[in-house]
Amino acid sequence: MWLPLIGLIVGLVVGFLLDWRVPQEYSSYLSIALLAGLDTIFGGIRSFLERTFNVRIFMSGFFFNTLFAAGLAFIGGYLGIDLYLAAIVAFGVRLFNNLAVIRRIVLSKWINQQE
Amino acid sequence: MLQKSRKITFILAIISAIIGVMLTVQLRSSLHPVHKESRSIAELRTTLQKELEKHKNLLADISKYNQLYYQYETSLSEDESISVMKEELARTRRMAGMVGMEGEGIVIDVVDAHTPAEPVGDGHMPVPVVGDYTIDDEDLRWLVNILFANGAQAVSINGHRLIATTAIRNVGDVIQIDTRTIRAPYEIKALGEPEVLLSALKLEGVEENFQLANKKVLAEKRDKLMISANNETRVIQFMKPVKQKGDS
Repeated sequence: MWLPLIGLIVGLVVGFLLDWRVPQEYSSYLSIALLAGLDTIFGGIRSFLERTFNVRIFMSGFFFNTLFAAGLAFIGGYLGIDLYLAAIVAFGVRLFNNLAVIRRIVLSKWINQQE
Repeated sequence: MLQKSRKITFILAIISAIIGVMLTVQLRSSLHPVHKESRSIAELRTTLQKELEKHKNLLADISKYNQLYYQYETSLSEDESISVMKEELARTRRMAGMVGMEGEGIVIDVVDAHTPAEPVGDGHMPVPVVGDYTIDDEDLRWLVNILFANGAQAVSINGHRLIATTAIRNVGDVIQIDTRTIRAPYEIKALGEPEVLLSALKLEGVEENFQLANKKVLAEKRDKLMISANNETRVIQFMKPVKQKGDS
């Protein structure tokens, strides 16, 4: 369980060392992709806790969701439709849902342990 | 089972590393956004040219004053210092407009454009027949300031030499320079480097501005131009000579 955390820290360090910067007009795409990635991560944690975790679904979900979200925002930019707002809302709602489910599961487990 | 869970954690680690990189990149770009230049190249070039010209003028000023300072410092004999002072006095007189000046420069004629009905520009929009538009004091002040800013040594409008205290203003319907009324067509003479002055006029868009008032600006180079002295009588009201110790 420690490996993902170490991976996150390594990613942060690498990100700081690389010093990549995204131009402002592309910054919204990256933020959408980031949101999608976070959504997938929390979805994975939730399914892990519900014991329905599937690596393939998780992996494909991570890459496809990120790419699709960024791509949709990009196309929306060309069409003049603020599709990234839709992505933000959708992913945001899912993120909160997943967080709520995770919280319930963790809480119920904790209570079970105490009893 | 054990191998599978280890694989899963490994994959999770990789994905969280990706997330970490994305996070830092996003953080960096929102903290220090990449500065984007929104001005066009042409605009920048114009600005650069203007600044370079200003820089050149300032450098010339500095070297001039340095030289003068050096002359004052090194003039040991009385005669020499007097001659330097005389020179300086003559220069000051020239700057104050007390003597006539001659040299190369440009003459600008602001005349009525004779074809007001003809469409100017792209031909779609008819230019309204303008009778009411006239240039006023502000336009002339602007023009003169451009000339002075670009190194004009002396400027006169319709024969009136401009000095430091000259006022150009609207009085009623006419423009007065100090207290003398001037009327169109305006003729502005400026002593200075003709190329610099002409390019300055182009840079500032003088022609376009005056076109709005239905005037044509004709600027031409002259190798020999004479600008007479300012002949206003000046009343000195508040100035007093300084008496110092040792003054004879």
